Amino acid sequence: MRSEQKTLPRNKMKVYRAMHDLTQEQLADKIGVTRQTVIAIESNKYLPSLALAFKIARLFKVRVEDIFFNEGKEAKDED
Amino acid sequence: MNIKQYRQTRVLVTIFIGTIVSFAVTKNSYVMAVIGVLTGMLFLVLARSRTKITIDEREKTIREKAAQATYAIFAPTIAIGAFLLLIPSHSRLSVFAKGEFAYLESLGMVFAYLTLFLIAIYAISYHFLNKKYGGRDEE
Repeated sequence: MRSEQKTLPRNKMKVYRAMHDLTQEQLADKIGVTRQTVIAIESNKYLPSLALAFKIARLFKVRVEDIFFNEGKEAKDED
Repeated sequence: MNIKQYRQTRVLVTIFIGTIVSFAVTKNSYVMAVIGVLTGMLFLVLARSRTKITIDEREKTIREKAAQATYAIFAPTIAIGAFLLLIPSHSRLSVFAKGEFAYLESLGMVFAYLTLFLIAIYAISYHFLNKKYGGRDEE
């Protein structure tokens, strides 16, 4: 379980949510999920489906990979 | 009605049912208990139909995993239970020869058929879901 959590792609959903001045509840309503799901995604405990990832990206008007990324890739990009 | 209000209503209705049933038990009135429970259930059904309940994909994933764990635990448990209950009836021990524990064999048979039923349901639903989600060999 712990190793699975380590390999989950990370995300910047919290950052984008703050940029758009949305609460977890408001974001949850907009993407049609519960607030618990938003919390789980933000804390990297749950990986959303492709459909939900696209929905989130469309809401923030960015690409999916701008929000969701593999930690290794992100580290490489930052270098 | 939102989910929070629905949960509060559910707690209130549960308290109401509990009170009515305990009062009915003290008064020895089964009719009152039945009416209390039915009224509570009706009220809950009405409240639920007026509530917008979101079942999202995370909830579905949790349900899938819970069902998987339930199957993985329940099927072997009742299968082993059935096996253990059926063994004595086929042994030559004098205790079981008298037929005093005949009910154990019946219970074992029930467990055995239950296991088969469970496996059959799993296999059938797996087959149809596999078909539904494109698990066929042809292109």
